[in-house]
Amino acid sequence: MKKKLVSMLLVSAMVLGLCACGSSSETAGKKGSSVATKTNGDKDTLYVNLASEPAYLDPALNSSVDGGCLAVNSFVGLYTYNEEKKLVPAIATDMPEVSADGLTYKIKLNKTKWSNGEDLTAKDFVYSWNRVVAPETAADYAYLFDTIARKADGSLDVTADDDYTLTIKLVSPCPYFNDLLAFPTFLPVYQKGVEAASGTEPGKWAQTPDFVCNGAYTLKEWKHNESMKYVKNDNYYDADKVKIKNLNFMLSADETAIYAAYNSGDVDFIDSVPTDEIQALKGNKEFNIVDQLGTYYIAFNVNSDLFKNMSVKQANKFREAISLLIDRNYIVKTVGQTDQKVADSFVPEGMSDGNGKKYKTKDVSYYDAEETGAKQTDKAVKLLKEAGFKLKKKDDGTYKISPAVSIPYLVNDNQAHKAIAQCIQQDLAGVGIELTIQSEDWNVFLQDRKDGKFTLAREGWIADYDDPINMLELFSSKSGNNDPQFGKGESKSAPDWTEYDSLMDEAHKTTDMAERAKVLHKAEDMLMETNAVIPIYFYNDVYMQKSNVKGVYTTVYGMKYFMYATKN
Amino acid sequence: MGKYVSYILKRVILAILSIIIVSAITFFVMELIPGGPFNKEKATSAEAQKVLEQRYNLDKPVLQQYAIYMSNIVKGDWGVSLKTGREIWPDITSKFYVSAKLGLMAAVLAIIFGIILGSIAALTRNRWPDRTIVFLTTLGTAMPSFVLATLLLLVFCMKLGMFPVWSANNPNYTLPIIALCVYPTAYITRLTKTSMLDALNQDFIRTAKAKGVTQNKLIFVHALRNALIPVVTYVGPMIAYILTGSMVVENIFTIGGLGTAFVQSITNRDYTTIMAITIFLAILMVIANMLTDIAYKLIDPRINFE
Repeated sequence: MKKKLVSMLLVSAMVLGLCACGSSSETAGKKGSSVATKTNGDKDTLYVNLASEPAYLDPALNSSVDGGCLAVNSFVGLYTYNEEKKLVPAIATDMPEVSADGLTYKIKLNKTKWSNGEDLTAKDFVYSWNRVVAPETAADYAYLFDTIARKADGSLDVTADDDYTLTIKLVSPCPYFNDLLAFPTFLPVYQKGVEAASGTEPGKWAQTPDFVCNGAYTLKEWKHNESMKYVKNDNYYDADKVKIKNLNFMLSADETAIYAAYNSGDVDFIDSVPTDEIQALKGNKEFNIVDQLGTYYIAFNVNSDLFKNMSVKQANKFREAISLLIDRNYIVKTVGQTDQKVADSFVPEGMSDGNGKKYKTKDVSYYDAEETGAKQTDKAVKLLKEAGFKLKKKDDGTYKISPAVSIPYLVNDNQAHKAIAQCIQQDLAGVGIELTIQSEDWNVFLQDRKDGKFTLAREGWIADYDDPINMLELFSSKSGNNDPQFGKGESKSAPDWTEYDSLMDEAHKTTDMAERAKVLHKAEDMLMETNAVIPIYFYNDVYMQKSNVKGVYTTVYGMKYFMYATKN
Repeated sequence: MGKYVSYILKRVILAILSIIIVSAITFFVMELIPGGPFNKEKATSAEAQKVLEQRYNLDKPVLQQYAIYMSNIVKGDWGVSLKTGREIWPDITSKFYVSAKLGLMAAVLAIIFGIILGSIAALTRNRWPDRTIVFLTTLGTAMPSFVLATLLLLVFCMKLGMFPVWSANNPNYTLPIIALCVYPTAYITRLTKTSMLDALNQDFIRTAKAKGVTQNKLIFVHALRNALIPVVTYVGPMIAYILTGSMVVENIFTIGGLGTAFVQSITNRDYTTIMAITIFLAILMVIANMLTDIAYKLIDPRINFE
């Protein structure tokens, strides 16, 4: 009897506990609610969460989006993005003066200062950029500087003609070079500060607060994995327009804690929301969905044993069948939930073609993404038969495939990715193909994907700059991100990738931008013909911002600019 | 006195040996785990990877890497994090300070409340205070820390608004301390109750009672002192464990402690940080065990070091 009583009490306590957990979503507002959440009264400080802390604050060494966000708020380069997401001059007086052959860029600089009051000159850019490409820096993004020609001594062909004039010579015309000039890796760093930090660690100078920078905010305090406090830099070139005096970052990646901090009013801006809350938040004025240039996709390893008895064409057909069977709309509605556009090409919508137009037009569509899924079963069955399989319809309308097909699908340990895997699993079950989901720790997952130790894996890429080559170059055989293993291995079912590599080289070298756009389209055609890369949807980004905060803006690359924010 | 010294000396040598064994096992097992410190979604170039491997001696044979690492440790050089490039020792000590501050408060509360509640439960056996305490301790030991921490966050921060969820200026450690101390409090309560009941049934207690020893003296001097031996056995390693932080509690309350750092270093394959924290924790553990053994002697003079 006593035991029963204790058990009942325990169960009641657990139920009460779960009820308390369940009620959390009510705080942010009921479905479609436009009721504002609690705000804090601190008008001088903006409280933000982007993620846990970045590995590096040195713009040369940072390779994460959240680290990039910190960089663009504490450093400023020649160009930046404004609220309309347009590239505008920052340290530069105007847009670059480009020579007729597109190879020489002359940029005039405004007279601006570092946060310690010293003058920032063209020489600082020469130093900073050469530092990025120096082998000992080991910067992830050093390859972005491959567009710049080299001098005989191996240094970049970037010259400070005088204190406020910079001349840059390129290897070949680069339609996205202006975009690069606003990219975090191209931000200037303070030479004396860098050199004063002794040791072999190139990023040491930016590991402690008060390092010299030239952006809107300088770092004042850093409690690792807790908070970062930035204060306004009065020497910022546009300081008059900076109204918020302090920028405090909550350093957390725990979605529950972040969302709770937002709802309690401790944080004004967050850029991650628990997946379970998205439906309830739609329609809430504080919940924002913004465009992003990127594609969520899955990729086959073209050298996988799965294709060993198939010809190149058969393997393409097999993969095409898989692509057609995936119900992209269902994935977006049930898992993505933020109205992502279903993808019918690899290069995302909205990307420029480098020749003054948008790359993706109505013609650039490799299948009807709105119609993929069960509706395509007949076509998929036909393709599978052409790939050498026998399919027999069963009484329940599904198929039995022989020989039996089992595809291991590799995902990292994340609920949303696993949910997408389950959707695909269900889609393929209709034709008798078994998809087994293999979840791996993030680090092992990256290694296995890179090493080609997988058959099918989840993938995703967010562009660093507005040009299709940033997406397509992933699959050149020498790329470190060539996870499908194109051009590697001896498999007879893998496509010959020599032409693709040549197309990438051509796109880099050609001086005719119209021709370059054609080359890029040809490369994407070739990529999509393999069906080894199966686009699912184009990314977008979400964030929540308090009703009393205005002026924060984002770019399609995921950068967030807080310096022109205001708080009522 | 000589026995004490030789005992402590023996324990110190054993402790050093344990630390060396722990470090060796960790180092070689770490090498076997797939993945690497420079793996990123946007792949590190082959050139950069080569420079980084050279910089951190990862291009050398594993045995040589271990020898270099241990010789640096002996010189007091704990190296730098492969993920952030930051020096490890100041990082560990600052994070340990945060975790230890919270952990120490939680440990003290757990010991005080655990012993008091355990004694009350033993002395009121089968009456309502005992039953209430049994219910609460069962709940305390059964509830996972992430559930408890989330509940505390929702009730006290969200519903009642008594504490901030996060604050850069005035972080409040009340809730994390509660989250950290609930399990050890419940455990110590149960231990104290059991051993107190055991002690109360001993012959020497009956004799003392017969001799007219007062109730308070009987409980606090005779019964409790004997009941504390199993509690001390638990408290030593518990303190070492609690001082080093809890990843779950630190994550939920955004606390930059050692628990989170340890888990992150494993996820990131940050070899140098994994090694440094492991060695640091091993040292703490052996010290805690040594102090526990010495505390035995103080509590129970019958215990012989030999």
